[in-house]
Amino acid sequence: MTSSERPDDFEIRRQRLRVMSDEALHHHFWALVERIVAPLIEEARTHTTPAIERSVLLRMGFSSLEAKALVGHFVERGLLGRGTGRLVLELAKRKGISVREAGVALLAGQHWAEIGA
Amino acid sequence: MKLSPDDKLDVREVLNDLDRYRPKRKGWTWRRRIENHRLGPFVFRNASADLNSSVPLPAAHSFGDIDPQCDCVITTEIASGRFEDDLRRMRMAAWHGADHIMVIRTAGQSHFDGLIEGTPEGVGGIPITRKQIRATRKALDAIEEEVGRPINFHSYVSGVAGPEIAVLFVEEGVNGAHQDPQYNTLYRGINVHRSFVDAAEAKKIMADGGLLQIDGAHNANATAKEAWKVTPELFVQHAINTAYSRAAGMPADQIALSTVPPTAPPAPKLSLDLPYAVALRELFAGYIFRAQQNTRYIESDTREATVTHVLDTLISRLTSADIQSTITPDEGRNVPWHYNNIAGVNTARQTLMGLDGLMDLVALRSDGMLRDRVRELKERAVLFLEEVLDSGGYYAAVGTGQFVDSGYFPERKGDGIVREPDGGVAAGTVVAREPDYGAPVCSHFGHNIYATGAGKACRDYGGCTLCDPAKIQYIDELDPEDNVEKRLLAPLADKAAGLLRPEVERHGDGIVCVTIFVPERPPIAEVAALEMARQMGLRKPEVIARRLIHPAEGSVFEIKGVIEIAVKIDDLPLPQREMLLSDAEIEAWVRPRSIHVIAATPGADEHSVGLREILDLKHGGIERYGFCCHYLGTSVPIDRALDMAEQTGARAVLISTIITHGDVHLQNMRRLHEAAVQRGLRKRLVLIAGGTQVTDDMARECGLDAGFGRGTTGHGVASFLVRQLRALEA
Repeated sequence: MTSSERPDDFEIRRQRLRVMSDEALHHHFWALVERIVAPLIEEARTHTTPAIERSVLLRMGFSSLEAKALVGHFVERGLLGRGTGRLVLELAKRKGISVREAGVALLAGQHWAEIGA
Repeated sequence: MKLSPDDKLDVREVLNDLDRYRPKRKGWTWRRRIENHRLGPFVFRNASADLNSSVPLPAAHSFGDIDPQCDCVITTEIASGRFEDDLRRMRMAAWHGADHIMVIRTAGQSHFDGLIEGTPEGVGGIPITRKQIRATRKALDAIEEEVGRPINFHSYVSGVAGPEIAVLFVEEGVNGAHQDPQYNTLYRGINVHRSFVDAAEAKKIMADGGLLQIDGAHNANATAKEAWKVTPELFVQHAINTAYSRAAGMPADQIALSTVPPTAPPAPKLSLDLPYAVALRELFAGYIFRAQQNTRYIESDTREATVTHVLDTLISRLTSADIQSTITPDEGRNVPWHYNNIAGVNTARQTLMGLDGLMDLVALRSDGMLRDRVRELKERAVLFLEEVLDSGGYYAAVGTGQFVDSGYFPERKGDGIVREPDGGVAAGTVVAREPDYGAPVCSHFGHNIYATGAGKACRDYGGCTLCDPAKIQYIDELDPEDNVEKRLLAPLADKAAGLLRPEVERHGDGIVCVTIFVPERPPIAEVAALEMARQMGLRKPEVIARRLIHPAEGSVFEIKGVIEIAVKIDDLPLPQREMLLSDAEIEAWVRPRSIHVIAATPGADEHSVGLREILDLKHGGIERYGFCCHYLGTSVPIDRALDMAEQTGARAVLISTIITHGDVHLQNMRRLHEAAVQRGLRKRLVLIAGGTQVTDDMARECGLDAGFGRGTTGHGVASFLVRQLRALEA
């Protein structure tokens, strides 16, 4: 559904804004913006995506090819919401190996049974 | 890697040891402003530190070759598709004053789910890969040493791989980036949830890495039919990205608003665009302003584009701009040619230096039409925001097509861009974080079990790549055919063979442009112009600009085509440059001899400046060596000059000849020689002509001893005179 056409009724709509000082109008502008942005940023705070997870693995020392493949495996297993970086790090700690070694082992198909347990 | 002004940039050296290269600095850098900067005969009010190496504006020749630099950063956008060619273009742009190099991405990268690696060729830009940006940063690090000013390298953090690209940019020393989730949604059709969730992570990474963020609101100008009518919405788009960035942890001094004056003449540009620019700067006080030039109404006329861009830059000076971005004047007709990047940069710097100190002279009115329009724009923007909330918030408003409607809000035309909140590219990929969600890395946004407690989130494994760059995994090439090594084969072969080809975009592309006026009606004239270009030997001739001069009398065309010509440098008849005599040697020979020199601008020519510079003591002219100069003025008959030569016993006559209509300059030269012969003076007189269109060969053909063209100095003329007179004495 698209918004329908509407004539320029600015002169009517502006009546209640006219009484505001410039400063009050600015304040009103930014208060409205904050209300619009608040639910958007809350969604970002509490959600993740494949791109975010790939960026985490990049930062942990994986190449872009490795990060993409690893995140693909995590998505298939429905584990993205746990945090791929966390799951790789915990595996590394449990096995006493480096983060890179843990990721490379996962790419080779190893240890998946222990992931997310 | 160190560059020398006389040597071309060596791409092989750039690529050498790239796997180990680290950028020498990170984050954005501003120019170093200098109050009341004294340079040559002037004091500049809005200037910054000088460059070590540069090409000054053409008129600088008349002001001691000064090259003042304005106080704002100047951007040029570069997009040839081959990064190795872009590097040369960047170097040329830096020499003309650009210190913000914006690299356009290849078409389609927005939808590439992940990073691209290697050096594949792009279309309308380059694929952003680690190798290409590392090579570019390495070249820019050398270029900024050469010119003596930091260069900000910039690209795009958008599409469905935004967070990864942000990491890549921080790791590799990219200094600024476009980031705006609204752009993804409205113009790239990416799912709105995915776009915003990714954006918060990308913004956090950019914020911590010191990158300057530029938003994407200006795209609404470029897409709207009547660009000035989207101005209320532009405030809204700027505000949403700004507030979202702040919420993601980005400080105000890293948030730049990308703003474009929306109209172009014959629209009454200033009366529409200035109120908008003022309102924006008032509503967003404290943020950074990136002033872009208008592209919406550019077609193929580069002169028209340039005038619009001068007016855009005037608006920057009347309000404010931290960054003045530039559009190449040929953007409306082809992928920008490299020398047009330079033209665009020069339009900005010429205008900005010409407007230096403007606001010491004028002030914007605080009443009347300007304030009424500023207020109206703000109120229209507030009404837009209220309607977003009334619709149920941002996602719902995008779903109902509230954005990029061509009506002047609250007017609606019903033609806005509609994006279903649950549709689009990568829909359904946003996943809720579990309570135990963790990301053990720095610069991560949102809920994270590692973000609590003491120490960095990456402490458990010795640090992430942002703390320990040694952990970065470098991939060289993935495609054995589509890579820089293969593309360099042809240029390197040309170089080895000493061959030169014309180019405008990429190495040796052979493209040339000719201007042809055809005195006929447009349909005939255009076909005729193309045929003429073909007969000149141009392959694939194409009209890139056409301008009607008169419906019956004719049109002018610019035609591009390819010429398959390579010239061999060794075979060129290069002029032998004679070393000038030293000042001391000239003066030692001239002073004891009392040598008289007659100088005049002959015929009906009133130009005097160039000749005075060659003569006058204070301009470093030949008087300083002890020549006795008799300057007779302008529009002087040749015979009068020779009368004077006889009276004073002069040994040389210098004429300046600027006007070339009907080859009058050639006639003057011939007449001087012939009259001197008739009077029996020729053998003892040195006859010289000078002027912007004069060449040495031309003057000699007319019987004179020498001709001096553009760029001549008194030193050059004096050195020649002494050599000639010594030879006559011998």
